[in-house]
Amino acid sequence: MSTTTAESSPAVNWEPRIIAYCCNWCSYAGADLAGTSRIQYPPNARILRVNCTGRIDPEFILVALEMGADGVLVSGCHPGDCHYTSGNLKLRARWALMQKTIEQAGVDPRRVRLQWASASEAQIFADGVKELTEQVRKLGPIRSEWK
Amino acid sequence: MMTEKAEPRIGVFVCHCGHNIAGVVDVAKVVESAKSLPHVVLSTDHMFMCSDAGQQLIKDRIKEQKLNRVVVASCSPRMHEPTFRRVVEDAGLNRYLFDQVNIREHVSWCHMRQPKEATDKAIDLVRMSVARAAELESLPIKSVSVTPRTLVVGGGIAGLRASLDIADRGFEAVLVERMPELGGHVRKWTHLFPADESGEQIIAPLVRQAEHHKLVRVMKDSEVVEFGGYIGNFTAKIKNHKTGMVKEVDVGTVIVATGFEPFRPFGYYEYGQHPDIITLAELQEMTPRADLIRPSDGKKVKKLAFIGCVGSREAGKLGHEHCSRHCCSAVAKAAADLRDRVDEVVIMYQDIRTYGRGHEELHRLARSKLVIYSKFPKEKKPVVQIANGRIRITWYDVLSGDNLEYEPDLLVLASAMIPPADVAETSKMFSLTRSADGFFNPEHIKLAPLTTHTAGVMIAGAAQAAKNASESVVDASGAAAKAVGLMARGNVEIESTVSHVIPELCSSCHTCVTACPYGAIAMDTKKSPPVALVTEAKCKGCGTCAASCPSSAIIMYHSTDEQILTMVEAYLCPSTQTTGGVA
Repeated sequence: MSTTTAESSPAVNWEPRIIAYCCNWCSYAGADLAGTSRIQYPPNARILRVNCTGRIDPEFILVALEMGADGVLVSGCHPGDCHYTSGNLKLRARWALMQKTIEQAGVDPRRVRLQWASASEAQIFADGVKELTEQVRKLGPIRSEWK
Repeated sequence: MMTEKAEPRIGVFVCHCGHNIAGVVDVAKVVESAKSLPHVVLSTDHMFMCSDAGQQLIKDRIKEQKLNRVVVASCSPRMHEPTFRRVVEDAGLNRYLFDQVNIREHVSWCHMRQPKEATDKAIDLVRMSVARAAELESLPIKSVSVTPRTLVVGGGIAGLRASLDIADRGFEAVLVERMPELGGHVRKWTHLFPADESGEQIIAPLVRQAEHHKLVRVMKDSEVVEFGGYIGNFTAKIKNHKTGMVKEVDVGTVIVATGFEPFRPFGYYEYGQHPDIITLAELQEMTPRADLIRPSDGKKVKKLAFIGCVGSREAGKLGHEHCSRHCCSAVAKAAADLRDRVDEVVIMYQDIRTYGRGHEELHRLARSKLVIYSKFPKEKKPVVQIANGRIRITWYDVLSGDNLEYEPDLLVLASAMIPPADVAETSKMFSLTRSADGFFNPEHIKLAPLTTHTAGVMIAGAAQAAKNASESVVDASGAAAKAVGLMARGNVEIESTVSHVIPELCSSCHTCVTACPYGAIAMDTKKSPPVALVTEAKCKGCGTCAASCPSSAIIMYHSTDEQILTMVEAYLCPSTQTTGGVA
């Protein structure tokens, strides 16, 4: 795995591009509440709404990274709180394997983040975007990593 | 299921939301950038897209420009997706050919000081949505019948009112109460503000009516132990604790009125350390009598003290940040009443919020009876000490600037309303989400306070937020009206966003069968080899099966792999086409 950062060639005017998959019931609503509460966070993430994190095929993450996303955030309901009972647990089960896969492809697994944020946890959602953006900023553009 | 795909003709409608979006996002730029996107034939803006004029604009343009896909960039789809779906439908388009971009909650409101970045983000999101719109397909509009029966969970004042409202309109209500008696908390209270009646006086007629109403089936000592189905067609298993019997009932709608519990404030003001330090709820539950007596020795109380906001309004403390709303008025009422029986009443408060009808009058009444109100600072609460069996309170009085002390015979803590201890199980049972205060989330705080995100399930009373009995009754009648509305119509449209197995691609591995949280997928043994088959009525549309199918044999309608990945591509590798549209 390559953990080298892009320090060697800091891209000019480069801004991290992040895909955020959010479930409709918890995290998308949490992101809505962040807006309603006027919580300010970095504008680097583009939120994609899925019904449940269980809908997220590891391929969705791999394809995003391959297409040049510098980071991918997956945000869903807390375990036990899934609107669909257990979809989030299914996603969690896939997660470790997915992390291994991207690591083997040479991508730093710190570029992907799985978090649980309920409909009321606007701050947790916003902090998640902020932390991943900062993390990815340190790691540099994804292009530096693909083998 | 789908018609052959016509060449997409996409219309993009960008909303200013007054100043809400346009104050941060350069709407003109977003409109302009969308014009060059593939398949976009029209891109325009409006001050309020959800207004009548905005809706008319969308309808007119659909007809004029023969649009077959519509993208609206405005607020959260959790707010107005139903509105705009209706609009496109009015103009003859299938509702699933609409997509909404959230440039308010997810852009202008959370990047208020970064207008350039916010505008870029809005442009990206619109591009992504346009790409998705091109991949959208019509889905059939399905409607199901509604069983004309409502399950009401909780036999407190809200559950009783809701059941009676439903029954009076000619529909059946199944009222489930886990205690041996109906009436909830209200029944136990000696005084209910703002009227001068006891809880028993208020609740007894309701209980009597419910128990004798032909259309109300009261199930006491009972709890819902299993719940499933979908709007119009739920099935609940209800267990009687005493007999152990489990009954199954089919209902079309549900009202969750599971109420609250009074916070027992251990760790606050020496609660639990002295028998004469009690909560407001405990004061209310004391047997009514001419004198107010001390629990410790049965002697007459001469000096009575209250402390407000106990376990309420504590910023940063999860589950205790909310105002419990009933306490200021309840304390005023109790103090005014008891002032006649004791020598002195002191109320230590942080703020007084007697907001409701008739509440301020109680506050005034208490003051006119020379109840002493003393304000303490939020950051420096009163200190209670127990010495030689006496309760001693010291605090700083904001208005006089003095440090005061008081030795009451009885100290009453106006403690918070919190959700019942088993609220998590209830929330799971009915797939309800909860807000930070722990109470159930409504579908929308302003526009849909009684419905939830589980279609067909309503909430009423203190299950929704801390509130008083009269407000709970208002809720209950509202929720009952919602339930009756559904039942009177007799049928209801349901989402067509279900999954579908392509039999030719299925490798019969059973992965989806185990992945489905609802047991909606089974092997179709009529086929050889047996392949997976989705029972659409059971499918809730989570898409877990589609993500887990190793053969990519499952289509999750309205959330297909293509519809998702095309958005990713549109963000990261936008097409170079610049002469958008097919116009």
